[in-house]
Amino acid sequence: MRISRLIPFLLLLASVACARVDVRPSGVETDRTAPLYPDYRDVTVPVNIAPLNFYYTDPDGRRFETRFSAGGASRTFRGREVMWAPKAWKKLLAAAAGGDIRVESAYESPSGPVRFAWTLHVSEDPVDPYLTYRLIEPGFEVWDDLEIVERDLTSFATRPISDWRNTENKCMNCHVHTQGRGDLSLFYLRGQGGGAILNRGGALRKLNLRGPGMISSTVYGEIHPAGRFGVFSTNVIVPGMHPFGNRRMEVFDTASDLCVADFDANRMLTFPETAREDVFETFPVFSADGRSVYYCAATARQLPAQVEEMKYSLVRIPFDPETGTLGAPADTLWSGPAHDASVCHPKASPDGRWLLFTVAAYGTFPINHRECDLALMDLRTGELVDMDAVNADKSDTYHSWSSNSRWFVFASKRGDGMFGRPWFCHVSADGTLSKPFLLPQKDPHFYDSMLRSFNVPDLGDAPVGFDARQIGRVWREMPAESFE
Amino acid sequence: MNKKRILILAIAAAVLLAGASQVAFLLRYPYFRKYAVQNGISLREARKAWGHPDQLSEVAMGLTVEAALENWDAVAALAAEDRKSEIGTYYYNLANAHRGQLADRLLDYYQPFERGLFLPVGERSTPFQIACAGDVWFALGDMSMAERDAMLGMLFSPAHTGPRYLRRLAETNLVTGDYEAASKYLRILLNTPAERAWAQERLPDAWSPEYRARIGRKRALLPRLDVVHGMDQTQLILRILLHSNPDNRMALDYLLCYDLLTKDLDAFVADYDPDRTASHLYEEAMLIFLAAKGGMDGENFAHYHISERNFNRFNDFVRIYKRDGGSLQNLTEEFGKTYWYFYYFAKRNEN
Repeated sequence: MRISRLIPFLLLLASVACARVDVRPSGVETDRTAPLYPDYRDVTVPVNIAPLNFYYTDPDGRRFETRFSAGGASRTFRGREVMWAPKAWKKLLAAAAGGDIRVESAYESPSGPVRFAWTLHVSEDPVDPYLTYRLIEPGFEVWDDLEIVERDLTSFATRPISDWRNTENKCMNCHVHTQGRGDLSLFYLRGQGGGAILNRGGALRKLNLRGPGMISSTVYGEIHPAGRFGVFSTNVIVPGMHPFGNRRMEVFDTASDLCVADFDANRMLTFPETAREDVFETFPVFSADGRSVYYCAATARQLPAQVEEMKYSLVRIPFDPETGTLGAPADTLWSGPAHDASVCHPKASPDGRWLLFTVAAYGTFPINHRECDLALMDLRTGELVDMDAVNADKSDTYHSWSSNSRWFVFASKRGDGMFGRPWFCHVSADGTLSKPFLLPQKDPHFYDSMLRSFNVPDLGDAPVGFDARQIGRVWREMPAESFE
Repeated sequence: MNKKRILILAIAAAVLLAGASQVAFLLRYPYFRKYAVQNGISLREARKAWGHPDQLSEVAMGLTVEAALENWDAVAALAAEDRKSEIGTYYYNLANAHRGQLADRLLDYYQPFERGLFLPVGERSTPFQIACAGDVWFALGDMSMAERDAMLGMLFSPAHTGPRYLRRLAETNLVTGDYEAASKYLRILLNTPAERAWAQERLPDAWSPEYRARIGRKRALLPRLDVVHGMDQTQLILRILLHSNPDNRMALDYLLCYDLLTKDLDAFVADYDPDRTASHLYEEAMLIFLAAKGGMDGENFAHYHISERNFNRFNDFVRIYKRDGGSLQNLTEEFGKTYWYFYYFAKRNEN
């Protein structure tokens, strides 16, 4: 037999061997319940987003056909995977800006033809085009091959802005912009040669943010919009494990205080109001106008025995942007004990209208708390907005605002419950929240095999002015500035 | 013979030689290859990551490969080839525990204190130790710890993935009923041709009666008490397992042996119930305790099921110990495998 005659047979064999198989056990919950993944049905997307590539999840389906139409233009795809050419996608988005893209899906399943129609709402509000996140395996208390990546949201381009290759596998903590500004951001390189890496206008500094009498180096915090000060928490962090109920890891503080760093005078400022031993203070951030600090506070308990009694409240305290002083008294905006819940990670929208935070049943480390949801407070009224359209049955947390305050991104473990991924949500002028959508990837199967979490996704209006090699040089050659 | 023919013959000879060398390598180090497969990497990548194997590493890899397949007879046979390594002891103990012989055979073998029961997972641990550390937790029924160690093993593995870890992650979640998490790992395995059959059998709607029974047995061991504990609070973790399921004999023996290998006799006496488990090792430990606390009487001997033979042997041990001024010289041959010998003479190697 000629080899050429065998080719169709070999191709058939290869296609069977390589055919993707999906998990759809009938009657059992899986992490893929929608007919397409990512589930982009009826989501709102920004006009500048990269193509929303997806695939159909029915393993027994065939002859898939998908038709997109908007503003008189249309496009039809055949096949399980729907993958856009960037130009065609951009053209369709532009045609639908401020309106809808209608999508008709059809395929044949063993039980008969399947047809359904859905919509992509295209908001004219753009999202900040850069997203930074740390890629980390959910490895509990250790790490290996960490990197902080910056993704261009208008395409699929990524670049590392700090990585293990250039820092001899050092631990690095998450990168946060101030009010979405690419020219004002901070992250930590831990261990020998490390420090807080401050990016002000692209100029990098390495700082040892630990002053006399502080219980630890700085941990959580944010830079003031004017750039001179930063507000931080200092935390003694203890990891523990839940043996029961798929609750996995619990992380709690056994002490925590607040402090302010003066980046111009290299001074650490501490204050009696936020350094009490009987109260734990954490997750401080500035208000949009820079005249207040929001943070979380809870009465100290015996830990870990009473960890479930740690109910952090949302607190606001005055801040003097001239002197860097935290004033008094602190004002409780949302009481943890009164709601039998615990607040984490407040983030003020840059326009000053909203305060987005996380609510968990207890504690201060919500990423393993399935019940953990996002909450949105209208700072004009103090009322919470209904977020049922946004929250899922797994941890939703680590959020960040777009500089136009019309979008926020958050890390959600919806689906498998183990791996955090970035989801985007639109906030309209009247506070209406859209169904969130998952960060699109060029390969629609990308998340299927991804075994790392997108940790602390943070939006930026411009790329940060440094890359991983520069950070490597800073780590190797730049001495850390001390603070007094 | 022209030059072209010579060249062809030389190339053919080189290829044959390389092939023969590869075959010889695989025959000599079969577990090296199997461990590479479990880590999802090629032989070349394995050599780059782990270096050239030797007989010691081949045995160590064999132990963990067979343990992952739960071939406990093979594990026991390989442990006999091991030469005083923590990994060797760890799997020797685990294989014995599966046969209900952990305590009886504990001191027949090298015991580097508690590190032969639970491999330390910390800054000084090797990736190989971390990859192996979860096997004992999976056997004992603590899926949180088993999942953590599988995650860490995967994190430090050369490809940051591999069927070995994905299988364990899938199974820990199938046992706890977290099908959403399990399906993440099963999907990856389903799309790995060599793993497809294994994964298909574990899809929850495809379980055979045997697999369903296996999951049922594992679920019976699960902790039902939620007490937040530190990663290294081994005794507390074991007590939580026992509080949830007093019939978890393996957890009980691990706890008692942990108490004994850390020479924590007060903890041992508190944890020991002679009506739930028995071993000459426990009798030996009780004799030390009773002698120290002044409880050498018939009532205690009856309660702790201490045999006359053990009592007499203990007296012999004490007599020689006192006679020789605490020297081990005349005790090693007859008492070298007793708990008395371990208690008085075993010293930690702090390096």
